[in-house]
Amino acid sequence: MLLLDFLHTQSAHCESGVAANLLTHHGLNISEAMAFGIGGGLFFGYLPFIRINGLPLVTYRAAAGHILRQIAGIPGVCMVEKKFRNRDEAMAELDHALAASIPVGLQTGVFWLPYFPKALRFHFNAHNLVVYGKEGNEYLISLARARFASGALAPKGKMYYLTQAPAELELAPHLVRGIQSVCKMMLASPFPLIGVKGIRFLAKRLGRWPQRLGREKADLHLGHVVRMQEEIGTGGGGFRFMYAAFLQESATIMQEPRLQECAAALTAAGDTWREFAAMAARICKKRGRPEDSYPAMVACLNRCGAMEEKVFAELRQWARQHS
Amino acid sequence: MDPLQQELLELICTTCNLHDVDLASIGPDDPLIGPDSPLGTDSLDALEIAVTVQKEYGVRMDSENTSRVVLQSVTHLADYIKANR
Repeated sequence: MLLLDFLHTQSAHCESGVAANLLTHHGLNISEAMAFGIGGGLFFGYLPFIRINGLPLVTYRAAAGHILRQIAGIPGVCMVEKKFRNRDEAMAELDHALAASIPVGLQTGVFWLPYFPKALRFHFNAHNLVVYGKEGNEYLISLARARFASGALAPKGKMYYLTQAPAELELAPHLVRGIQSVCKMMLASPFPLIGVKGIRFLAKRLGRWPQRLGREKADLHLGHVVRMQEEIGTGGGGFRFMYAAFLQESATIMQEPRLQECAAALTAAGDTWREFAAMAARICKKRGRPEDSYPAMVACLNRCGAMEEKVFAELRQWARQHS
Repeated sequence: MDPLQQELLELICTTCNLHDVDLASIGPDDPLIGPDSPLGTDSLDALEIAVTVQKEYGVRMDSENTSRVVLQSVTHLADYIKANR
């Protein structure tokens, strides 16, 4: 049995969790929320031209790999990334890294991971995890098939590991940069499907679904939006809470009460996303309350948009003053 | 089952409109969500339960992983509420 000296910390989101775990392993102890914030992980995009299980993609966080790329760009951090066409070669390279006592990050397909309960398996190919040991042919957290899952976002055996991280890092400039990049996406994207504009676009579309698609198909689309929001690593409410935790940590580092206020406001936005999702779930389950309706969900989404617009406008102003 | 566990089970059944469930037949360690659950609930129900728990007890389940762990059983849920409220 090969087991690396690796302290695995449970995380809320795979990519930020892997980033924090790998950095911590190299002696730079940062929280998952901080990795998420520095990595500019928060986002909103309603992308009807990309289909997941035949339904439009709604994402509440940055594209897969974005956080890791931002982390890899920090001065003093060296990350090696490899992709493979050949499965044996990919597994041999993983073994080679483990033999050299290097914990390895992998991109995998959730459907093939044995530790996921069957009921929760679905075809999502951008799940990140860390391999930190091997027993016989059994990897501690991994499976060859999961590395070569096919379909959208196919991992192609992608593996990555850190060879170096700075012993200490002055977080202030990185967190300011992370905040700026998220503000830009949320407030200033020229595309109407991205950021606050995208939230409002989704609200408008969603309000028309019952007329355009018929009630049954509208409810199907609605269920999909909720699942994308709360389940499959795209989680809306959850990511808002994590970003709020990042802002709270940043407020302490920067001794800045404005960030604390933004954290509270973003937590409230996360709660409003959850309210929307709960209302949508009740409608899908045909147990709506008298106040539940498509127009009420539109209003709820518009409230989310307005709350996030206010938070990110404040953050953008703050970041300008500190860059 | 302790009083909080019993109360939570009733709350879940009310939230999810589960009127034909025999509460006495549910064990404290039975899974709350998924095909193995005697309640027959799914992930959309899990979301509603998480929101209801937050409203009733002021305890937030921050992420999908947290709710996945917490909603394993009524014992887990009651322990999480006791530890966080």
